[in-house]
Amino acid sequence: MSVKFAMLGILAEKNLHGYELKSSFDEKVGEFWSLNYGQIYSTLDRLEKEDLVTHDRQAQDRRPDKKIYSITGKGRTELEEWLSTPVHKVRALRDEFFIKLVFMDRKDPGPILDLIEKQKAHYLKQMNRLTNRKVSLKKRPEHADSLTAELLMDAGLFHAEADIKWLTLCASKIKATMGENT
Amino acid sequence: MIEIRNAGKKYLQGAREVHALRNVSLRIKSGEFLSIMGPSGSGKSTLLNLIGGLDQPTSGEIFMDGRPLHGISDDELTLIRRRRVGFIFQFFNLLPILTAVENVCLPLLLEGIPFTRIKPKAVLLLEQMGLGERTEHRPEQLSGGEMQRVAIARALITEPAVLLADEPTGNLDSHTSEEIFLLLSNLNEKGQTIVMVTHDSKAAAYGTRVITLKDGALAEDVSLGGAPS
Repeated sequence: MSVKFAMLGILAEKNLHGYELKSSFDEKVGEFWSLNYGQIYSTLDRLEKEDLVTHDRQAQDRRPDKKIYSITGKGRTELEEWLSTPVHKVRALRDEFFIKLVFMDRKDPGPILDLIEKQKAHYLKQMNRLTNRKVSLKKRPEHADSLTAELLMDAGLFHAEADIKWLTLCASKIKATMGENT
Repeated sequence: MIEIRNAGKKYLQGAREVHALRNVSLRIKSGEFLSIMGPSGSGKSTLLNLIGGLDQPTSGEIFMDGRPLHGISDDELTLIRRRRVGFIFQFFNLLPILTAVENVCLPLLLEGIPFTRIKPKAVLLLEQMGLGERTEHRPEQLSGGEMQRVAIARALITEPAVLLADEPTGNLDSHTSEEIFLLLSNLNEKGQTIVMVTHDSKAAAYGTRVITLKDGALAEDVSLGGAPS
């Protein structure tokens, strides 16, 4: 759903061809979200069918015409409506780690407690990489998207922090319920 | 730079013997930015106090640059602490009747160095903390973030071998905390060794290494890879 609106948002700023659209998408939200060209073009096709986007052809030497996409009036209206509506769906609890937890050894808590510590260390390293990128970003001169990039990194950091707190609680409850056995 | 060998700390609480630290061994290299994490009561602050010479272990050994911090007199320990260690705390611990620049000068005033000789350096440090316009303000005229920056300048005036921080942003909001951590990470990048107690993994993520204590013992030791590029 949001891919659609991210692409409308990008096209609302500027008319672009598919390749440029992907670069712009990567630059803005690529840190947290990767899309391949197939997804870009299939979304564009869908948006065209819904009359939210249209394209012009640009002739190229010895190559097929380039399609330059632009947002329609209807597209702008939908985008504005979407931008002013709060998000109702909260983050899904479909974390891969959660599945591991479901299948943990119920008799010996040792392995899952080990895994929890490894997972926490992994999150910490990830947070460190994000923080270092944020620190470098702050040293560079301002450019238009640095605020949103920083806010996205903050979101990543707060989520990872919450995951670490949750894992710490998991370990504590598992020990309390099953005993430490180690 | 700092080497801790089998350090323990126990004390009596009524008739009960409490082990605040058990057999902790740890080597902190020069230039590290180490965070100490763990639940409350796990011995984080006790360990920090041992590293900073605010307290001595009841067993084991601690060395700073090869010199022992254990089994020495209180006066010797005080001297090392004053000259080699800088502290910042959750509640800033500034003297309310002194101005920012006077607070920064305090550690060297206690050494008997005249104010006029220290002041230029203190002003420079405050400028580096972005407080060039605030040097003559008293703590009550400053925001929480500003007070903590004065405290950092004060901790740096002696050019300490290690900067110790105990929950330095425990009393600040997220945005102000970030400014403090950016300053600390900047100092670390210039080579300042930092040891920080924190329960905030976002804070620990500014550092180079994280250890976790549990029931007074060292439970985890994670190295965080690269510094900012």
